[in-house]
Amino acid sequence: MLVSLNWLKEYVDINIAPYDFGEVLTMSGTKVETLTVVSENVSNILTGKILKIEQHPNADKLVVCTVDIGTDERIIVTAAKNVFEGAVVPVAVDGAVTANGTEIGTSDFRGVLSYGMFCSIEELGMNADLFSKEIMEGIYILPANTPLGMDVRKLLWLDDVIIDVELTANRSDCQSIVGIAKESAAALDLPIRDFKIYTKDEKRNDISNYLAVKVENEACSRYVAKLLKVKKVEPSPLWIQVKLMNSGVRPINNIVDVTNYVMLELGQPLHAFDYESLKSKEIVVKTTNDKKIITLDNKERNINDSMLMITNGSIPVAIAGVMGGENSEITDNTSVIVLESACFYKNSVRLTSKQLGLRTEASSRFEKGVDPELANIAALRATYLLEEIGACEVIEGIIDVYPQPVSPKKLSLDIDWVNAFIGISVSEDAVANMLKRLFFTVKSCASGKLEIEVPSFRQDIEGKQDLAEEVARMFGYDNIPSTIMGGETMIGGKTPIQKYEDAIKNILVGQGYYETLTTSFTSEKRLIALNSYFKDTLVRLVNPLGEENSIMRHTLIGHQLEVISLNYNRKNPSGRFFELANTYHKSEAPDELPREEKMLVISTYGSDDYFELKGMVELLLTHSGINHPTFSAGGSDFLHPGRKSVVYVDDVRLGEIGEIHPSVVKNYDLPKRCYVCELSFKALYESCVTDIKFIDLPKFPASNRDLAIQLKADIPASSVETIIRKNSGDILESIELFDVYTGEQIPENFKSLAYALNFRHHERTLNDDDINPVIEKILEELNSSLDAQIRE
Amino acid sequence: MELEIKLIRDHCLADLNEVEELKALDNVRIKYLGKKGTLTIALKGMGKLSSEERPIIGKLANEIREEIEQNITQQKQALEQKEMEAQIREEVIDVSLPGKKHLSGNLHPLTTTVNELKEIFLGMGFTIEEGPEIEWTKYNFDYLNVPKEHSARDLQDTFYYKDDIVLRTQTSPVQVRVMQERKPPLRMISPGRVYRTDEVDATHSPVFHQMEGLVIDKGITMGDLKGTLDLFAKKLFGEQTKTKFRPHQFYFTEPSAEMDVTCFKCGGVGCKVCSNTGWIEVLGCGMVHPNVLKACGIDPDVYSGFAFGLGLDRIAITKYGITDLRLLFENDLRFLSQFK
Ligand SMILES: [Zn+2]
Repeated sequence: MLVSLNWLKEYVDINIAPYDFGEVLTMSGTKVETLTVVSENVSNILTGKILKIEQHPNADKLVVCTVDIGTDERIIVTAAKNVFEGAVVPVAVDGAVTANGTEIGTSDFRGVLSYGMFCSIEELGMNADLFSKEIMEGIYILPANTPLGMDVRKLLWLDDVIIDVELTANRSDCQSIVGIAKESAAALDLPIRDFKIYTKDEKRNDISNYLAVKVENEACSRYVAKLLKVKKVEPSPLWIQVKLMNSGVRPINNIVDVTNYVMLELGQPLHAFDYESLKSKEIVVKTTNDKKIITLDNKERNINDSMLMITNGSIPVAIAGVMGGENSEITDNTSVIVLESACFYKNSVRLTSKQLGLRTEASSRFEKGVDPELANIAALRATYLLEEIGACEVIEGIIDVYPQPVSPKKLSLDIDWVNAFIGISVSEDAVANMLKRLFFTVKSCASGKLEIEVPSFRQDIEGKQDLAEEVARMFGYDNIPSTIMGGETMIGGKTPIQKYEDAIKNILVGQGYYETLTTSFTSEKRLIALNSYFKDTLVRLVNPLGEENSIMRHTLIGHQLEVISLNYNRKNPSGRFFELANTYHKSEAPDELPREEKMLVISTYGSDDYFELKGMVELLLTHSGINHPTFSAGGSDFLHPGRKSVVYVDDVRLGEIGEIHPSVVKNYDLPKRCYVCELSFKALYESCVTDIKFIDLPKFPASNRDLAIQLKADIPASSVETIIRKNSGDILESIELFDVYTGEQIPENFKSLAYALNFRHHERTLNDDDINPVIEKILEELNSSLDAQIRE
Repeated sequence: MELEIKLIRDHCLADLNEVEELKALDNVRIKYLGKKGTLTIALKGMGKLSSEERPIIGKLANEIREEIEQNITQQKQALEQKEMEAQIREEVIDVSLPGKKHLSGNLHPLTTTVNELKEIFLGMGFTIEEGPEIEWTKYNFDYLNVPKEHSARDLQDTFYYKDDIVLRTQTSPVQVRVMQERKPPLRMISPGRVYRTDEVDATHSPVFHQMEGLVIDKGITMGDLKGTLDLFAKKLFGEQTKTKFRPHQFYFTEPSAEMDVTCFKCGGVGCKVCSNTGWIEVLGCGMVHPNVLKACGIDPDVYSGFAFGLGLDRIAITKYGITDLRLLFENDLRFLSQFK
């Protein structure tokens, strides 16, 4: 919200530098974003009246003007087309500086000396957004009654400082000059000035001859109406226009400007209807079945029966709290206006505004909540101003439909509690004074308690914690001493699974893997490309950001492939990646949250093969105390059918590992060979064997035997190893497959596996009598189960 | 006889002088001192000598044998030394050649940042808590005192799975769950992934990360909030860091504040990072709202506490001077490998 410092100063005597004032506001809870002088450079530009315009003797496009600048007359040459005799304009006289810093001197225009120049909006540095293109292109024409020889810097408030404040959602009362003035007065501990309202003691109730108001919906808590006869619809006086402009609002005409002025000043949105266009003697506030209304901005809006309307009894004439209708708009011919000052329920306005996609100065104020106690005050303030500037004559009487007036909230505050809660020690008097500065009514009662009445504009104050915040910010957050928490000593620390997570990541990092960070979203298309689209178990979002982000991923593989694809296409020759993140799965039961499963995904491309990645997984398992995992052929469809396996520890499925399927390689634009592994982190953690037991170093020598086994090529090596282990008993210390051979020496479709077996007994030296029977048993079973032979 | 022995000695020493290899040295030893060596054979003739001559010749023979052996040993040492020197000369390498590559990866910069934050709070006795990312609206909004009609609940702001299930918009629901499950005192942080319907750009992502913290105990004050978070800021950004608490508003807390820290790039004089203000907004915080405590079964008349929340992605990119948030989620190796 833009706040004019000059306007604010009409209410509070702010006598510190703007920057310091900004700090005070920020530290008391009204955050100042920026402080900007309207027009820093402008100086020595005066108001002047064009007395005479003559054609330039030597140039068709130039005219020579005689200008009265109060003290004397000057000759100014201009090419502007919108100047006329009698116009009052800003004149940059010799030595003046315009908005962009240009110094103006006397210059020769084809033989005629010009002692300065006329200024446009842009040259004055005023807010260009507020003016039409035609006005921007010409010289800025001031009202005819503007005094001459005035410095426009002061006149047009070009020296004003515009404070851009960020308001918090709870402080709807600060959406106005007076609201900010109250905060400023409280923060600076200064008094605040009053504003003038229409106070005539009206004896007659003439308004009842013209109008009645019915409120048929609870979403309107108060409706105040005042009727005024229009004397003339014309531009507002400069002092009103200037305040509007410095608040970012475009001046329109005296009537509309006053409604905007009061909204900016008090925070109460007002609306003015053309009485005759209402074509009715009543206003009814209700919802209707109408489908369309044309609003003041000449746009047709689709309305429905959930939106609150201001109607003339039969058709809508305004969307309540949002925007007026074109059918009752103020025109140059308007003779009587209905001034509406109403209070609409914030959620009603918010939903209407959202449905229409239309946010206005009025709706954004109602959305946050407007004080119903303000409605009649604002109506009387506007009435006063309309009369004061000579725009209207007042028709006596006021309509005020206010079925349930709000009663002031009463709270009590324990001084000891407030001190203990904040961690300060201030006296009862000091607390009372702070709250009084914020317009609370405070009464002291026995035993260190204050009875407090909350002003109606503070709708955010509900309990003692809210009052504590008021005390804290008046005391100054920065003045609260920082302390170290007392209470019980707490050990805190990571849980075993959190430590395990760190350990796993560290091992991967140590082996050259980079941790990635990918989003949780995927799509039907991306999953189909991954051969991994399972229609019925997916978590689909109601309102995704586009189809490509519409599903919560059930696997981390897709995103790893996208990472590989990106790196491959950016010519990074190889890469190793991992990520530990959640996957999401539809729950079976309807009243449960979707199931989230943390997965560890590892991937590699460029230089590694299946066995390199498998080795990495085995290393992770070894570090987890898992020594005999099994990798059995099989796995998901995104993997190469001949190069994939499922990882088990005993009967627990940890996950799968393999090469990416050639079709997925194509779909994801991947290098030909990519390898991935995805493991359930929970299964992995639960399979961990964490207690390490020391075993004495061996005292007796080991006995080594090499075995070369010849068997069908399609029999997995793991079945050979299983048989060897099974028949060896306790004395087998280790087994290592050191060669896999296929080729000339053995028949086609056969392979040879060479194992080094290491036997050892912990209490004696083993001899051939111990080992030979074992070897025989192994060979026997290899032969009977796998049809395998020993190669001599 | 004496002459014969001396002659043998002279021949032997002459031979030794010419030896240039260890192997040849052995041959010399065998030639003179071996079983069939000239000296050995010569001495076998000692029996023929008179009893007067025998001790004299015997003594001489021993002296000469010793002399020869000494010479052999000396010569051996010299040769070995020479051989080692030759080996060393041959084995010179260019030590400036590059070392063999050992692969090493690294953690994602976000993880590194989060780890740093975790360590700070773990040191103050906090625990790390986790909870579901897809969450009931009651945990994400209701128990957190977010008004029923607040726009944060709109489809424009929050991702919905069902009418009453959303992608959590902050990690505070974890705090609600912990408060409902355990009794105070509590000190916890909950870092994690959160979601809001922001389109992706240089500073926004629909998926981002937050860390919320919570302390509940008897007698926790706003001064404790300031003290704890000030300590946190000093540990994260350096001893010289100053903090500033500005009043603010959150539904979850009352009173509420935002904490600024002196810019860690310029130290507070003003630079691009802090938009010339000297301060950087780091977190939101406040005293836990009594409505929240009540909703979680904690008596606000007995217990009080504070909560805080900060955006982790923003801290990470500010900390490393990363110019675009999107880089964090892109995973280009040339980016990832910079954070060793
Ligand atoms: Zn800075």
